[in-house]
Amino acid sequence: MIKQYFKQAIVQLRQQPVISAITIVGTALAIFLIMLVVMIQQVKVAPFSPESNRDRFLHVRFMSITNKSWGEGSSSNGPMSIETARECFKSLKTPELVTTYLVMTISTPVSLPNKPATGVDMRQTDDDFWKVFDFHFVNGKAYDHAEFEAGLPVAVITESVARMVFNSTDVVGKEFRLNHSPYRVVGVVKDVSTLATTAYAQVWIPYTSTDTPKDIWSDYMGLYSVTILAHSRDDFDKIRQEVNQRRDAYNKLIGENGYELIYRNRPYDQEKNAIAFGANFEPNIKKDRINRLVIFVILLLVPAINLSSMTQSRLRQRVSEIGVRRAFGSTRMEMVGQIIMENFIITLLAGILGLIFSIIFAYVGNEILFAQPYSNSYNVPAIDASILLHASTFIYALLFCFILNLLSSGIPAWRASRTSIVNALGGKTH
Amino acid sequence: MLLVAKLINNDTDMNKKLFTQICNEWRTNLWLFVELLLVSVVLWFIVDYVYVQTATYTEPRGFNADHCYKIEMGYLTAKSPDFNPADTLVAENIDELVRRLEHRPEIEAVSLSQNSFPYNGSNSGTQVRYDTLSAGTIRRYVTPGFLRVFQYTGTRGETPEQLASLLKENTFLASDNIFLNKYHTQLTPFVGKSFYLHSDSTKTYTLAASLKTVRYMDYESASESLCMVGLLPRFLYNVGLELCVRVRPDQDVDFPERLKADSEKQFRIGNVFISEIRSFKDIRRNYQQIWVNNIRNYATGMGFLMLNIFLGLLGTFWFRTQQRRSEVALQLALGSTKRSVFGRLLSEALILLTIATIPAIVGDYNLAHAELNSTYNGTNLEPIRFFVTILATWVLIALMILLGIWFPARKATRIQPAEALHED
Repeated sequence: MIKQYFKQAIVQLRQQPVISAITIVGTALAIFLIMLVVMIQQVKVAPFSPESNRDRFLHVRFMSITNKSWGEGSSSNGPMSIETARECFKSLKTPELVTTYLVMTISTPVSLPNKPATGVDMRQTDDDFWKVFDFHFVNGKAYDHAEFEAGLPVAVITESVARMVFNSTDVVGKEFRLNHSPYRVVGVVKDVSTLATTAYAQVWIPYTSTDTPKDIWSDYMGLYSVTILAHSRDDFDKIRQEVNQRRDAYNKLIGENGYELIYRNRPYDQEKNAIAFGANFEPNIKKDRINRLVIFVILLLVPAINLSSMTQSRLRQRVSEIGVRRAFGSTRMEMVGQIIMENFIITLLAGILGLIFSIIFAYVGNEILFAQPYSNSYNVPAIDASILLHASTFIYALLFCFILNLLSSGIPAWRASRTSIVNALGGKTH
Repeated sequence: MLLVAKLINNDTDMNKKLFTQICNEWRTNLWLFVELLLVSVVLWFIVDYVYVQTATYTEPRGFNADHCYKIEMGYLTAKSPDFNPADTLVAENIDELVRRLEHRPEIEAVSLSQNSFPYNGSNSGTQVRYDTLSAGTIRRYVTPGFLRVFQYTGTRGETPEQLASLLKENTFLASDNIFLNKYHTQLTPFVGKSFYLHSDSTKTYTLAASLKTVRYMDYESASESLCMVGLLPRFLYNVGLELCVRVRPDQDVDFPERLKADSEKQFRIGNVFISEIRSFKDIRRNYQQIWVNNIRNYATGMGFLMLNIFLGLLGTFWFRTQQRRSEVALQLALGSTKRSVFGRLLSEALILLTIATIPAIVGDYNLAHAELNSTYNGTNLEPIRFFVTILATWVLIALMILLGIWFPARKATRIQPAEALHED
């Protein structure tokens, strides 16, 4: 049966080359753009190393603080201090792990002693950072709890930084200068794409080895963010509850100085965090989803109208065939099914074409396509198969082909099947 | 088959033939109509967005960040072998760094500031009050050099240099529009008057000049960009300040590399050092990426819609001209020119577009009325903008229709009348 559909589809494509070309281009173009939208979203939320646990993350990138003496509606907004992070998040019992790290990467000069320095993106973290995120270690290992607590000048660097500084990746134990201070390499990891927004850097060091923990503003705010790793998504509510309890207790404490922390419903999960750019407002996740839905609807509906018209014209040339089949006992539903199936094969062929083009475009145009807003890094967002291709990517592609096909052949098929046998045999469509 | 069916119809009755044909056309025309209607509304939405973005982008910026660079400072820690524990004069060291940079021949101006440089996501806010007039604005704490680095100008023709000399401890500058939205008055008449700043009623500051409105960034309109500029207080001096420089117009090539090469020898002052140099071209690009991405998305959507109109018209008229081969041939035989046949096909589609545009305008109006489109100058629905965007939408679709019809029409008019008529 499937083979028959295939044959039919191919014959149809051949009969009307111009119309076939239009159908295929129209379908492929729609799937191409839909898949680009899907990919742009997926790089933000789908898991890939070192952020393989994205579905279990809860982030507190920023928060707000207010003081009774500042007047109504006044707040200071930004990352928190180590103390606040410890009191409000590190001490949580429900999550698997909590990591504290500097809110952004900072371009920092690295060099060998007395050699010219190059700026690379540096991130300051705690030791739990290495358990929350799954980096691929090429050599050595991460700094452990003891090294972190002691504030030792140790660093994990990427392969490309290792090659740039030492001309080798086998450099564990070697020393280099970071901000003109000596640091020892303890681990070398595979390069990380800037698309791993939370974990990304080129050099990681314990924040205890620097003075940034002393960089305090509004008494309780600083330069730090936290990411919570839950045992499972089912724990999210429980974690939020505990987070709010901690906040209330902490607010009582700092309330003695007139202060109050405002969370704006943080912590956010990965999806919400990906669009939470400002410290002083809560992103509207529902609006973001509706926007995406509207885009999908337009990307499907406009070509579907085109294709419907095309399908209908094509079917009109086949009315007598339909008449014959109906005269020999084919039911209307069978006719509809057959037409939709035949059409689905064409849609699928064109859809595969669109998907292939979207993947090629993602690789070639990564700099344009995945350019990250408010990035502190000037490195381009690197792409590889682990970031771009997930099982869900293909499921989405198939799903959208299916919907597009239903939209573009449903009405014509239904109309064609309703043609009366006599008229159809006579070649009349209505 | 179809031709035979048509022939039967043709023979019965002239009126019936016409009716059938309109009916036939009407069915494919309905698809076209729905498509044109949908595309017209969505395309208008995009055209409106592009209109607003372009209008905003082309407004005068009030600052100039070309040839500008941001220099990031670092401070050696005790862990560094170069650390000098005796040196604690951070502010003096920063002063010396600024002085040395000013002496560098390729540098035109140097400034220090806090939350002030353009394309900066971090802001401080404050209150500016005169008598009963009071406004909340962005606060920029800067050294006088800042006005020269980013070339602010005054509403009374003050040059950046003059503004720089006006900024003192007891004076301030503010953009001309800080009272505009609230009180409908410009600030220029208040120059020389005493103001209260920072919600502090114990001290007054003189407004030294009113600034030509300084926009927050390229995609934020002047009407939404308010700021005041005050002298950076000494107690805020630390290596986290923004150190910005303007280089001479011909000195951009490799400037960061050249400065970096000299930075350790000439610009390490006490424990203060230069850690990074970034051009405002990069800062601007990174900061505005989200708007650029949006414009990219909308432009792609526009291309997609237009391409679909093209494909739709191409397909529909391909069938239509095939069906009408004999009709076209007859017209040609009776003396119609190819141009007039093409004109008839085109006007058919354009009339359809115009008919679809009427309900589309209702849709557009409702979108604007519900404030779902872009806001500009405080409104979503402004007569001139509405008219221009609707006209532009019509023209864009018409252009695609022209392209879509051209190919099938050319094919149809190429036939030999005798041949086509003979087929019939």
